[in-house]
Amino acid sequence: MICLNKNEQGAELLTGYLAKTLDAAGMAEVERHIRDCADCRGLASVWEKLDEFAAPEVRADFDARLYARIAEEDSHQPWWRRLLWRPAVPLVAAGALVGLGLLIAPRTHDAAKQANQMDIEQVAQAVDDMDLLTPIAQ
Amino acid sequence: MEAVVALEQDAQLMLRVGEGDDTSFALLLERHRGPVVHFMYRMVQNQAVSEELAQEVFLRVYRSRSTYEPTAKFTTWLFRIATHVALNSIRDGKKEKGHESLDVDAADGMERQVADLQPTVEQAMVHEVKRREVRQAIEALPAKQRAAVLMHKYEGLDYAQIAAVLRCSESAVKSLLFRAYESLRGRLAHMA
Repeated sequence: MICLNKNEQGAELLTGYLAKTLDAAGMAEVERHIRDCADCRGLASVWEKLDEFAAPEVRADFDARLYARIAEEDSHQPWWRRLLWRPAVPLVAAGALVGLGLLIAPRTHDAAKQANQMDIEQVAQAVDDMDLLTPIAQ
Repeated sequence: MEAVVALEQDAQLMLRVGEGDDTSFALLLERHRGPVVHFMYRMVQNQAVSEELAQEVFLRVYRSRSTYEPTAKFTTWLFRIATHVALNSIRDGKKEKGHESLDVDAADGMERQVADLQPTVEQAMVHEVKRREVRQAIEALPAKQRAAVLMHKYEGLDYAQIAAVLRCSESAVKSLLFRAYESLRGRLAHMA
């Protein structure tokens, strides 16, 4: 096997080996290589050395401090913004849509009525024009 | 399969948070508080700052509750926020200078996750020297390499997730990780 340090595929194998995400055959292959290759053995040992870097426990009041920040942030929001995520929002939105629909519907009806009236006027105008032209043709 | 179930649970919880369910937020916090704080601690290496930054992450999660869409794994989305917050903090030089010592930790009444429960004084000193060397080696990595190593080594994210967090290709992540581990090997070569 080519040294794992020398190419990206090798690097992938080695990092996969370190994270134990390779299949059994892959793990065995890297294991064999590492036995004979000091460079790769050194790289593999980095993984274990990193175990030394333990993180401290989270402080017990972490959640309380977070919820206090959330409450403070919520209190600075305008009233309508505070309502935004409440379950009532879909109902309010639906009500607003229905209201909007009611406002728009009569106007649409009026517009159609107006359009019909204009059509009649145009036809009447055309008939008048024909009446004017008829004597000339005769 | 377990990961898929966990993803669905987290995503469902987050969707419920968007519907106004505070209990779901508490569950998400319970599940991810540790990993996010620990990631932040290893990024900035200061307990007070790391918790402040982790709180910023959860605040952003909370603020996004009404617009959240489960297009990626919840942990990927969460660590994208965490990495963004951490890199910004490092860039802005928010990190306090100097490191805590074990004395400071003891004064705060905190316990580290140390496997050896009752070490001798000598063992404790050796352990502390190793820990300091490792954290200095990690601190010396460029911020993006550091984030990649921490997600890979300590948080168990796979290449695809790390690539999604860092907005780069999987092959770029592999190369980033390889360079980072190479650099760590050089710095930690003297450690037995």
